Amino acid sequence: MLARRADFGSGFHSGQSNQFQAYLAFLLFIAINLMFIGCAMPQRKWPQPGEHLPSRHELESVPFYPQKAFHCGPATLAMALAWSGIRADTDTVAPEVFTPSIKGSLQPAMIAAARRHGRIAYPISGPVAMLMEVSAGHPVVVLQNLGLSWKPVWHYAVVVGYDLDQGIVIVHSMNTPRKRLSLRVFENTWARSGHWGLLVLPPTRLPATATQHDFVSAVVGLEKAGQYQAAVQGYKTALVRWPDSLGAHIGLGNSYYALGDKRSAEAAFRQASRRFPTNGSAFNNLAQVLWELGKHQEALEAARKAVKLGGPLVNRYRETLQQIQAGER
Amino acid sequence: MRTIRRLAKSVSVFVTVSMLSLVVPYQSCLAAVIGTETALDVARGQEARQYLEGVLAREVVQKALTAQGIDPKEAERRVEGLSNAEVVRLAKKVEELPAGGDALGAIIFAGLFVFVVLLVTDILGYTDVFPFVK
Repeated sequence: MLARRADFGSGFHSGQSNQFQAYLAFLLFIAINLMFIGCAMPQRKWPQPGEHLPSRHELESVPFYPQKAFHCGPATLAMALAWSGIRADTDTVAPEVFTPSIKGSLQPAMIAAARRHGRIAYPISGPVAMLMEVSAGHPVVVLQNLGLSWKPVWHYAVVVGYDLDQGIVIVHSMNTPRKRLSLRVFENTWARSGHWGLLVLPPTRLPATATQHDFVSAVVGLEKAGQYQAAVQGYKTALVRWPDSLGAHIGLGNSYYALGDKRSAEAAFRQASRRFPTNGSAFNNLAQVLWELGKHQEALEAARKAVKLGGPLVNRYRETLQQIQAGER
Repeated sequence: MRTIRRLAKSVSVFVTVSMLSLVVPYQSCLAAVIGTETALDVARGQEARQYLEGVLAREVVQKALTAQGIDPKEAERRVEGLSNAEVVRLAKKVEELPAGGDALGAIIFAGLFVFVVLLVTDILGYTDVFPFVK
C-alpha cells in the first residue's frame, strides 16, 4: 500500500487519505471484476442441439485449396468464393487481401475483397450463429489465434461442418481438408479473435441469422464497392424478408439509378415514397429521377413534397427543387 | 485526488472518442440523389430522437430529473443539442439499461436513464454535473 501511495506522489494530501484509499479500493474492485470477466470469456457455453439446430451437419460442396506460406487469408476466401459460385483461386485473390509487410490478411480486406467479387460479406460472431449458419449450408470463414493472447499467431480457416455429439468442428485449414478439431481446442483458438466469423454469400441468399440492419448494411457495402447489379439482387432479397426496410427500398432505387436504369429506379423510389410517406429522401430521389426522365410536372411535385417534409437533409432537397425549377424556365 | 481526476478524464475522453469513431461519417456526394447510407443514418437518427423524447416524457423519468434539480424541458433541450451519431449511441445505451416492468424497476430505470443522459452530455461538454469528467 505504501509503495503505491508513493507512486501517486504529488497531488496527494494526508487529509484526504481515507477518501483516497476508498478510491483505490474502488478501482481495485473494478480491476478485479474486469479480470474475472476476461477469464470467463473463453469458457462460453456452446449450444445444445435442438429443434433449430441439428446435432451434426457437414457441407460437401466447399472446395479445398491448400495454402501457401502465410496465405491462409487468400486460401480461405478463395474457398468461400468458389463455393458461392465465383471462379477464384488463391493466387488471384491474394493481391486483393494479402498485406506483405504484416505477412497476413486483415479482416476489412477480406470483407472488401468479397464485395469486389459481388458477394455479400456478412460478419457473424459467436458459436450459436456459426453453427446455425453451417447447418443452413453456409461455410463460415473464421479467424483463430493459434498462439497465445500476448503472442498471437493469427490464422483463417473455413468451418465446413460440426458434430456436437462427438464434440468436433470440421474445418478446411492449412494443408488439411476436413480437419476434425475438438470443440475445446477450436473454442480456445477462436475466442481469442472475439469469435470473428465471415459469411461470403451470393446476394440472392439470406444468412440464417440475418438481421435487417446488418444485412442491409452488407448490401450497402456492395453498392460502395460499385457492384450495383449484385446490390440490386441483395436489396431484392432483403425486401422479400423485410418489406418495410427503408434502406432496402432507397438502396434498390439508388442501385438502379447507378446502373442507368432510370425506369426501374423510378418504380423503386415511387414504392419507397408510398411506404414511407414522411421520408423526404424517398421523395427527393424520386424527384431527381422523374426530372431526368422528362416528367417535369411530377418531378416538381415530388421535390416540393420533400422540402415540405424537411428533416436534417432539407438543404439537399431544396437544391433538387431549385435545380428542377431552374430547368423549367 | 488530482491524479484520479486526470485519470478519469483521460478515460472518459478515450471512451468518448472510441464511441464516436464507431460511427461511419457521412459521405459527401454532389449528385442530387441522396445516398442509401445517408438516408439510413438520418432515418435512424430521427428514430432515436423520437425514442429518447418518449422516454423523457415518462412521469418517473421526469420525477427523477426533478430530483436531480434539472427541469425536464432542459433535459429535452440537451438531447436536441446532440448530433445524429450521438443520439443513436445514447439511445442504444438507454436500450441496454435494465428496464423492469414493475414500479420499482421503472424507478431504477429512470435513475439510470438520467445518469446516462447527464453523463453523456457532460462528457460532450453540454452540461456540467459530474466533477470527475473535467
